[in-house]
Amino acid sequence: MHKVAQVELVVGLEVHVELATRSKMFSRAPNPAGRGVGVPAHDPAAPRKDRESCKDTSAGTAVPPNTLIDPTVLGLPGALPVMNRAAVEMSMMVGMALGCSIAPLSRWDRKSYFYPDLPKAYQISQYQLPLCFDGAVELGAGDGTLPARRIGIIRAHLEEDAGKLLHEAPGGGRIDHSIVDWNRAGTPLLEIVTQPDFRNADEVVEFAQMLRNICRFLGASEGVMQKGHMRFEPNINCVLTLDDGHTVRTPIVEVKNLNSFKSLRGAIEHERREQPGRWLEDGLTLGPGTKTTRGWDDAAGEGRTFPQRGKEDAHDYRYFPDPDLAPVVVDEAWRERIRAAIPELPAIRRQRYIGEYGLSGKEAAVLVENREVCLYYESTIEACIERGMDRSGAGRRAANMILQSGAKRANERAAGAEPVLVSDLGIRPEQIAGIIRLREDGAITSNTADELFGLLCSPHESEPADADPGEVAARRGLIVVRDDAAVSRWCEQAIAEQPQAAADVRAGKSQAIGRLVGAAMKASAGKGEAGAIRERLMVMLK
Amino acid sequence: MTDAHPTTIADTRSALLDRKVSAVDITRASLAAIDRLNPSLNAATQVFHDAALQRAAQLDARIADRRAAPLPLLGATIALKDNICLDSAYGDARTTCASRTLEHYRSPFTASAVQRLIDAGAIIVAKTNLDEFAMGSSTEHSIFGPTRNPFDRTRVCGGSSGGSACAVAAGMAAAALGSDTGGSIRQPAGWCNLFALKPTYGRVSRYGLVAYASSLDQIGPFARCVADTALLTSAICGHDPADSTSAGLPSPDLTSDLDRPIDKLVLGVPRQARSAANHPAVTAALDAAIKTFSHLGAVVIDIDLPHAEHGIAAYYIIATAEASSNLARFDGIRYGHRAELAPSDDLFDLYARSRAEGLGPEVQRRIMLGTHVLSSGYYDAYYNTALKARRLIKRDFDDAFAGTARAASRPSHACHAVLMPTSPGPAFALGERSSDPMSMYLEDIYTVGVNLAGLPAITIPAGFHRDGASNLPIGLQLIGPALAEGELTRIARMFELATSHSSIRPALA
Repeated sequence: MHKVAQVELVVGLEVHVELATRSKMFSRAPNPAGRGVGVPAHDPAAPRKDRESCKDTSAGTAVPPNTLIDPTVLGLPGALPVMNRAAVEMSMMVGMALGCSIAPLSRWDRKSYFYPDLPKAYQISQYQLPLCFDGAVELGAGDGTLPARRIGIIRAHLEEDAGKLLHEAPGGGRIDHSIVDWNRAGTPLLEIVTQPDFRNADEVVEFAQMLRNICRFLGASEGVMQKGHMRFEPNINCVLTLDDGHTVRTPIVEVKNLNSFKSLRGAIEHERREQPGRWLEDGLTLGPGTKTTRGWDDAAGEGRTFPQRGKEDAHDYRYFPDPDLAPVVVDEAWRERIRAAIPELPAIRRQRYIGEYGLSGKEAAVLVENREVCLYYESTIEACIERGMDRSGAGRRAANMILQSGAKRANERAAGAEPVLVSDLGIRPEQIAGIIRLREDGAITSNTADELFGLLCSPHESEPADADPGEVAARRGLIVVRDDAAVSRWCEQAIAEQPQAAADVRAGKSQAIGRLVGAAMKASAGKGEAGAIRERLMVMLK
Repeated sequence: MTDAHPTTIADTRSALLDRKVSAVDITRASLAAIDRLNPSLNAATQVFHDAALQRAAQLDARIADRRAAPLPLLGATIALKDNICLDSAYGDARTTCASRTLEHYRSPFTASAVQRLIDAGAIIVAKTNLDEFAMGSSTEHSIFGPTRNPFDRTRVCGGSSGGSACAVAAGMAAAALGSDTGGSIRQPAGWCNLFALKPTYGRVSRYGLVAYASSLDQIGPFARCVADTALLTSAICGHDPADSTSAGLPSPDLTSDLDRPIDKLVLGVPRQARSAANHPAVTAALDAAIKTFSHLGAVVIDIDLPHAEHGIAAYYIIATAEASSNLARFDGIRYGHRAELAPSDDLFDLYARSRAEGLGPEVQRRIMLGTHVLSSGYYDAYYNTALKARRLIKRDFDDAFAGTARAASRPSHACHAVLMPTSPGPAFALGERSSDPMSMYLEDIYTVGVNLAGLPAITIPAGFHRDGASNLPIGLQLIGPALAEGELTRIARMFELATSHSSIRPALA
């Protein structure tokens, strides 16, 4: 028996992205993955802004079952599909962002199989001629923690989602049968298939996050993993190098329906650990008919995959062109109009932040992770520039404010529940720029800047939503006092309170001055500025 | 008087607007004819006594309000083939497709074409019998039993829109809608002495027509005269955003120009129309029609449709392939028949038993055929080959209309229309073909090509075959290029004026 000397992982990824169109793929019924869907219009407590709906609970629970339906969604006799153009345009954008070509002609096919969550007993999909094909993206281009790596995209095609089978009553009661919620049925799904170009789980997760950010920037998806907006299906196998130098390829395992980055990573790492042992045990190698399908169980420790029935192999889907739908013909004018509408993508922005503003790769990555936060950051920079700052300095200081004061408040508010975005804290970019300007002028201390940030966040109990940071600071006496007499008074008080420290400084132990600065700051009740106090103390204790 | 509708739809409308008759009177006469004749003919599967009278009363109120614009189909009583959706709010309507699986199905919406008729002032009086899911040529494959031919009750009235044809021929309604996938309007019209028009594919919205074969299905009207046919066709044609295959064209007006003959009319009669399988009466009717058109000044030329012989094979591959997919939704999960299950039964049993119990033998046969031709390994040999044949069949017609026939030894005339029989023989006896599906399929030999090519065609009453005590109608069809519904109705009108076949009504006791 040979020993395995080396294991090289090979992964290809399929991603299903639920597109955030207002209506479904082939009908006018509202799309649960669409922005704002599931928030009752008459509910005064409901968030008003589109972007806030992502804080809402999952559409599956927020929207009563079987309410986002119509005859087409249910596959009633006589109902017909009509293609949602917005879904096609969103898909073209995502495809272009992934470097894909857009097919001048793509087609809708019917994929036939019986399952209780599939209303027509066929799914409308694109089998022979996908909308987007033959693309590639670069990984590791930003923060330098991974070597740059090219990931090929085989295709990105559109299809419709199925409904959801439930095995307990709404609310959790036991039932002896299954029930179906059709709200999700007909939701537009973009399926993206990569080449098997990944060599470790980090790369796969980086790609998945990059894809999520791209979709968010394009408005193609909110990318809320908890709502199932993205589902991953990695195809995993290993190249085993044996101690005699021969190599063996293990059979491909497809892990179905992973809906978090954590489970995606977990499933790949689990398979990397397990596949060499599986081969030693059964001797099965890559070849026709050896592919298996596994599910993911994250309940057990770090999680594990488990075998599922190989239903794929038993099926003949009998694909044929859907006679109810015309082919999608994309002419150059349409294609170029969509291309022109694509905003600057997150990877490009990240590079720009690093180059122009001197941010670290990690800082830049956090700022581009979410479209709203990113646009918020850029608005803050513009507001700083309006207030007379140069772009580079504004970029640096706005990043500090958002990543420190902002992230702190967002974390406090989220308190372990659903994440809260800095852009949703209720403080406007102009207000942050005002704080930064005060700080730049030396009018406030860094502690005061953070305090002001907190005061201007919602729910605006202490200060009105449109409060001017300068006025708030002045009214609350937070402006740094440069009055020599006052500074001298605080320093004298500090020396009187800390005679030993004063003596130490006089004796040349300059580190003791910290205690005196602290005491003077305390005496100033936050109005003093540490640098000025330190200077004055040094003079007084010379 | 036995006929509820002695006049045309246009005459009815004038009489209503002149207050010589009320819509309620018209509707009562129609309902009375149904009540009297339906027990023996079995044309209607559901009759809307109350809803129709209510609707008629609304129309009478509208007529009384002289400010309201007069509607084009005012007071036209209409029967609907029961595979066309009608909102169940109307008289608790069912949309059954003559199938056990949809026996109790109530549609929450009305088909676009029907809505257009209602909006134009029509009154829906009944749903009519058909071969289950429009699969058949005799209206015998129905949970409601066969519909009988009003000209001879021992015979079928054709199919699959047999109930609609029978209802109009027997005077139960002024007109009817049917659906034509491979001849299901034209063939029963021929056997019931009616005009019926299958519009160009895409001309009439399929939204609300329960799909049999989506790339072939088209809704069309039955009527007793060309004018009514033109009126109804004008009303139901037009773009519908709910049907992606609907042509983006406005509704045509086929009525204003109807009486203007086609100048220098050229008709092509295909060599294939003189099949050895033709009943002599069919060939005689064709020859007589050629003579009539010649007298009218038309040039009648021989043409060739060299790929027509592949029509039946191509049709039964494409239609069954699409049907196997379209009918997969009748799975017992959301609606329709669901089998009683034992506790030990699983999901497979639910599907298999619900479908086995809910769908009839002809439907099951076509689903199996269609599933087979789409299955992996057979797809190219069957489905793709059938698509190729379909393109060639369409090209044959295009050549005839353009005068560019490839096989012709000399340059040919461009035809306005192709003239040929709708079926090789007159109506056959009930049960005669039931045990031999292949002979039933061959009934469609003259009609399927039109659907494969997506062309418009109109059936015209063209004579009778005297068989003992029976007088059996013979129909011919005129086939035109795409969107030529206007020319076709004008040619049919020329023929109608020159002959008296269509004025002959069945003798109904």
